[in-house]
Amino acid sequence: MARLNDDAQWIILMGFIVSFSFFFLALVINQSTIVGQTTAESVIEFPKNDIRDIREVIGESVKSDQIANINKDITFISMQRKSALVWYENDTGTNPTNIEIHYNNGVTSYNETWTLP
Amino acid sequence: MINSDGQLYTIEGFAAALIMLITAYLVVNATSVYTAGDTHINDMQLEALGTDALKMMDVAPNNTISTISGTPLQQILSATPVTPVNKAKFDEEFSTILHQGAFQNPNTIHYNATFTCRNSDNSTTPNLINSTRDLTGGEHSVRATKWVIIKDTNGNACDRDEEQAVLVEVLLWRD
Repeated sequence: MARLNDDAQWIILMGFIVSFSFFFLALVINQSTIVGQTTAESVIEFPKNDIRDIREVIGESVKSDQIANINKDITFISMQRKSALVWYENDTGTNPTNIEIHYNNGVTSYNETWTLP
Repeated sequence: MINSDGQLYTIEGFAAALIMLITAYLVVNATSVYTAGDTHINDMQLEALGTDALKMMDVAPNNTISTISGTPLQQILSATPVTPVNKAKFDEEFSTILHQGAFQNPNTIHYNATFTCRNSDNSTTPNLINSTRDLTGGEHSVRATKWVIIKDTNGNACDRDEEQAVLVEVLLWRD
């Protein structure tokens, strides 16, 4: 019986390993675009500036003597120009200590009880 | 005599290493490809610039050296917004902040600024502050907003004449 020549087995195996490494590297490149896309979308959708801005104006508004009117301004304009539901309430009195803020724009909701120093 | 049985394996090992190195090089190099998701970097930069500019305009001047009360933005919004003086004042401040940089570059960022007040029937009306170019709808624009509380609203575009919060909205885009 003729002896089988298996000298090339290692070479074929190495060929497989190399081609598999190519395949996985291609997969990594392929997925990186999708990962970048989803990260970018979630970064854009998060209303960082909106929340900062609303906190700032609410903090300013409690110093005013037109609190009720400004509260309505913020609620109505937020709804109509930013599609964001904003509700806030503060302790009444000359020296308010707590402001309760709720913000929801359909994607992100933000709730805070702000204790004034 | 030296045994040279492994020569071919050695050469193949080198070849495989070379292929992997080239692949790694290609992968590292491929990061410079501009994917659709990367456009958010420019957008966020522009939005941050606009938000910062509005915030800077809503900082009151030093009272010890100036007798003007209120921030520049409050003064512009309290006055009648259609007057050319206030348009020019807004444009001068806002454009200057937007185009501050290391180079004396031309004005490449355009904007359309409006502010919204609440009317007494709880509807809202946007009023134009200034626009450097008419909107055609084809711009890739981002929005920066700023809430401002204005005290003296007599004679301005708002319906109610009392202290109130208004929303300044600026659409920004590059040429």
